[in-house]
Amino acid sequence: MTPVLEVDGLVKSFGGVTAVDRVSLRLEAGAIYGLIGPNGSGKTTLFNCITGVERADAGRVLLDGRRVDGLPPWRIARLGVGRTFQTIRIFPELTAVENLLVVTEGDWEAACARARELLATVKLERLADEYAGNLSYGQQKLVEFARMLMRDPGLVLLDEPAAGVNRTLLNDLLDAVRALRDRGRTVLLVEHDMKVVMGLCETVFVLDHGEKIAEGPPGFIQGDERVIEAYFGR
Amino acid sequence: MRRVVLPALAVVLAALAVYPTVASGYGVRAMLQLFMWVALAGSWNLISGLTGYVSFGHIAFFGAGAYATALAIARWHWPWPVAALAGGVAACLLALVIGYPCLRLKGPYFAISMLGLNEVLRALVSYFEGLTGGGSGLSLPTLEATIPIYYAMGAVAVAVTALAYAIITSRFGLRLMTIREDEVAAEAMGIDTARHKLAAFLLSAAGPGIVGGLFARDQGFIEPLSTFALVMTITMIVMVLFGGKGTVWGPVLGAVVLFVSQELVWARFPYVHQLLFGAIIVAVVLLMPRGVLGVLQQRYRLPRTI
Ligand SMILES: Nc1ncnc2c1ncn2[C@@H]1O[C@H](COP(=O)(O)OP(=O)(O)O)[C@@H](O)[C@H]1O
Ligand SMILES: [Mg+2]
Repeated sequence: MTPVLEVDGLVKSFGGVTAVDRVSLRLEAGAIYGLIGPNGSGKTTLFNCITGVERADAGRVLLDGRRVDGLPPWRIARLGVGRTFQTIRIFPELTAVENLLVVTEGDWEAACARARELLATVKLERLADEYAGNLSYGQQKLVEFARMLMRDPGLVLLDEPAAGVNRTLLNDLLDAVRALRDRGRTVLLVEHDMKVVMGLCETVFVLDHGEKIAEGPPGFIQGDERVIEAYFGR
Repeated sequence: MRRVVLPALAVVLAALAVYPTVASGYGVRAMLQLFMWVALAGSWNLISGLTGYVSFGHIAFFGAGAYATALAIARWHWPWPVAALAGGVAACLLALVIGYPCLRLKGPYFAISMLGLNEVLRALVSYFEGLTGGGSGLSLPTLEATIPIYYAMGAVAVAVTALAYAIITSRFGLRLMTIREDEVAAEAMGIDTARHKLAAFLLSAAGPGIVGGLFARDQGFIEPLSTFALVMTITMIVMVLFGGKGTVWGPVLGAVVLFVSQELVWARFPYVHQLLFGAIIVAVVLLMPRGVLGVLQQRYRLPRTI
């Protein structure tokens, strides 16, 4: 089967720093993948290259077998890639429901109904008409998550979704991620909390200094010598 | 809300329509200028208030429209209403040519590039003396048309405000706002920001182009310094910031309040007027960065139709 996402020999440097160094990945449909690695190991940069925010220096990105590297971010988004950001990026002076509506096309009434329905799935229906900038940190994260779902993306990239989120909210978020997988969507998430990764991901990729140093089931990864070295120093 | 606003609007428009039959020549001229400022401020709001791309040389479109219209009248003998529309078209063409490269620039770089455009146009107009009369200006054949120009200017002000209403209450308008709020996130959500910005830029150039043409016909004489005047760009920016950027009625409110206070104070204390203007800029930026309507909208959850 054609993988949902294939990254092949991706390289991205900033000046002297090679943030992503010949990384290759294959993601199959209907699974949750983890992307871990110490701070500065290139996880966010890899996301940026996949979504077109950054242009890779070398390598290829394929979505459902189609090359997308070099396309602008909005085109890649329309091909079914949704993402959230490590630092929240919502539209603060738009209301919560407007944050979702801007993504839609076609019938306005139907779009409004769908936006409110999605906000309800993250328990924000009562705050739909509040300005997004007035919401709490956790609520803003949920708005960003719901907005990402508006296009019903086949591939979902989550950059540290659990960071700074309380337990209840985290569980809701993890349930939502599992629900995505159960509907056949593919998820790649960056996460530091190994408990979260263990409970969620079938396969984990480990980055260190921009290089992929390991790949496999979370239990297997934890025993890998290079991974232990990357995390606990040399 | 609609039940109050619509009749009130109808009354105001009707009053403005009969105004020239009862008013003094000074009154008509003052109102004509107010219309001009409503159209200019409203147009600047379409690009800068909505997308956050601050155009620091928006008067360039006014100047381009003024010269295009003046040339069409003086050299080719076009009737002035057609010539003024041609001024709007010329401004849009300029926006298309300039917008394509400049809207890639971010923040202060875009603002400065627009300032540069204004200076370049002024220099060009001064240089091509044979066509434009250069620094000594361009005179139009005499014509008494204050009252028709009053109506034409009023129509442009209404059209710009109606356009703002249509945009701000639409999905297109919300998308323009996402560019202001976070352009990277907008792109990541599938919004083609480049096309949206260019569309807003074109729409924001049309009004100033036509208004510039009407201004040229009304004055009967234009010259580069007063036509490409940076102070006019600053005035429209202050009007929008005062009234509320990104709102439908903010630019109208800002234009009315600032123009009227300017007229009143200007007549009596010429220097105080400049001081007042500076004070308003500082006060708005420090105390009410959203402007009057922006603050009301946030505090009382007014709909975007206001
Ligand atoms: N826009 C940028 N300009 C310069 N250096 C960058 C930029 N983005 C990331 N980097 C560098 O690339 C490396 C990887 O960063 P990043 O992808 O953010 O890592 P992670 O998300 O794994 O913490 C870091 O050394 C970082 O300083
Ligand atoms: Mg990161």
